[in-house]
Amino acid sequence: MMHEIIRFEQVSYTYEDGREALRNLSVSLHSGEKVAVLGENGAGKSTFFLLCNGVLHPTRGQVFLEGVPVTQKRQSLTALRRKVGFVFQDPDVQLLAGTVEEEISFGPLNLGWDEATVRKAVEQSIANLRLEAFRTRAPQYLSGGEKKRVSIADVLAMSPALILLDEPASSLDPMHTQLLEQNLAMLESRGIALLISTHDVNFAWRWADRVLLFHAGTLMADTTPDAVFSDPNLLAACGLTQPTLYSVSRILGLPQPIHTLEELEQQYTRQR
Amino acid sequence: MFTSILTALVLYWLFLGQLSTPLLLLFSFSLGLLFLSAHRHTHDSISSVDVLARRSALCRVNPALKVGCSILVLMLCIAAQTTHMPLILTAVLCAVTIGIGRISWHDYLSKFSLPAVFLLLSTLALLWNLVPERGGLLDLPCFGSYLSILPAAQAAARLVLARALGAMSCLFFLSLSTPMPEILAVLRRAHVPSVVIDLAVLIYRYIFLLFETYHQMHSAAQSRLGFSGLRRSLRTTGQLYALLLSNSFRKASACFDAMESRCYEGELRFLTRPKPVLLCHALFAGLLVTGSALMTLLSFF
Repeated sequence: MMHEIIRFEQVSYTYEDGREALRNLSVSLHSGEKVAVLGENGAGKSTFFLLCNGVLHPTRGQVFLEGVPVTQKRQSLTALRRKVGFVFQDPDVQLLAGTVEEEISFGPLNLGWDEATVRKAVEQSIANLRLEAFRTRAPQYLSGGEKKRVSIADVLAMSPALILLDEPASSLDPMHTQLLEQNLAMLESRGIALLISTHDVNFAWRWADRVLLFHAGTLMADTTPDAVFSDPNLLAACGLTQPTLYSVSRILGLPQPIHTLEELEQQYTRQR
Repeated sequence: MFTSILTALVLYWLFLGQLSTPLLLLFSFSLGLLFLSAHRHTHDSISSVDVLARRSALCRVNPALKVGCSILVLMLCIAAQTTHMPLILTAVLCAVTIGIGRISWHDYLSKFSLPAVFLLLSTLALLWNLVPERGGLLDLPCFGSYLSILPAAQAAARLVLARALGAMSCLFFLSLSTPMPEILAVLRRAHVPSVVIDLAVLIYRYIFLLFETYHQMHSAAQSRLGFSGLRRSLRTTGQLYALLLSNSFRKASACFDAMESRCYEGELRFLTRPKPVLLCHALFAGLLVTGSALMTLLSFF
């Protein structure tokens, strides 16, 4: 049974300059889900993430955390941020401390845990992201991929139920992108729900079991990847293309669209 | 180049009339050449101080011991009445930072040369006085009166320069052996108000951001020939600084969002690793402080 972590009811957000970034958004996210958030630049993805994490507050509408309305009170916001972790797109805005260990300890210490618990959480997080070799290094001097791992460890140490990743693969090399997907699998195996904003339709197709499609501040679709990518009108309206493997399946006339190259190999040999 | 010439000139004037001329020339020029050999253009001098500190073998020593020891010795050095104690201290701390900390001689001198310019320039101001009539070791006519080097001014300048050198070597010993966050952790334990420390942490953090932003913008401007010719260089530099401010503001607000998203509530706290005080470190610190105190005391008589 999936239980609800966060729910948006008719949420709108308008920036101070009057620009409306999100309009009447109603959506709920559950434990263990793998959600890809698609949409062009400025479609409202980042605003949605900042609202999920309580950094921004809805102009209209209400956000609920496990059924309880989120208010602007400190206690309520702390509860929200503990359950919902946010990995920023640019790790440099997130990294703060002098060593990787100190960096990861920042969140848990802010939660008011005692030192032994914090140390345990930090150790676990380091082990999970295999950062042992970097623990005394300064995060500012690490490479892009390593910084990304540290910023995920930062959030994981606070033991969230849902992690938001804002375009995590942007500016990563192929090797680190692969490593990132392994780490996503690790997070998934720990029962953490993942919400990832991306421009990579191939990744969304391969990885997600649910897609939120934004366009100009409106949620256009909240459905399975299959339903989104089989609708050419919707894709054209939102400036997206079909995933390569999806098109390949269509061209080859496969009964089921395939998600990975291994699946393609299996289906293709069976057909022949 | 500038530092070397300045060093040679100031040293020459400082010891004019004290040493025989050939010895004086040899002394001034050799020290000037020393700086010439060390001078190397480094782009990110601030960040590399921190890198050097983390690389230093002294990084493993308890930071509270280093901070306490440096501050005590620094105060003793400033209180000294003769040049002996500060100069010996400079030599000892230099040897410790380079020899035991294994910072390269080259790195040390190139870091030292920046504050050295300020020191030497202020020494110049102390050395040369405007007097109504000749009578100094060196007199230059200047609008009806004379710019002269007087023996008394020489002595005063020597003492000030020596104290400043000693104080600088204390700070170099600390900053080239202790990463900034550790110094701040010590200050926090010493009950320095948390506003001051949080500000310091944030400044430390944003220096890297500013530097990186500046570096990127500078390279981008350079790749579009923004620095060809003096006029264009000035223009580009102005635009760069103006944009740097707004870019940094944007980045700072993003950083604040990121801190808030990890439940920041107004106090920056990190888990630090314990670095125990070893007996040999404590003994060395004790020796250094007692020695400095004795020499400072003697300098009063």
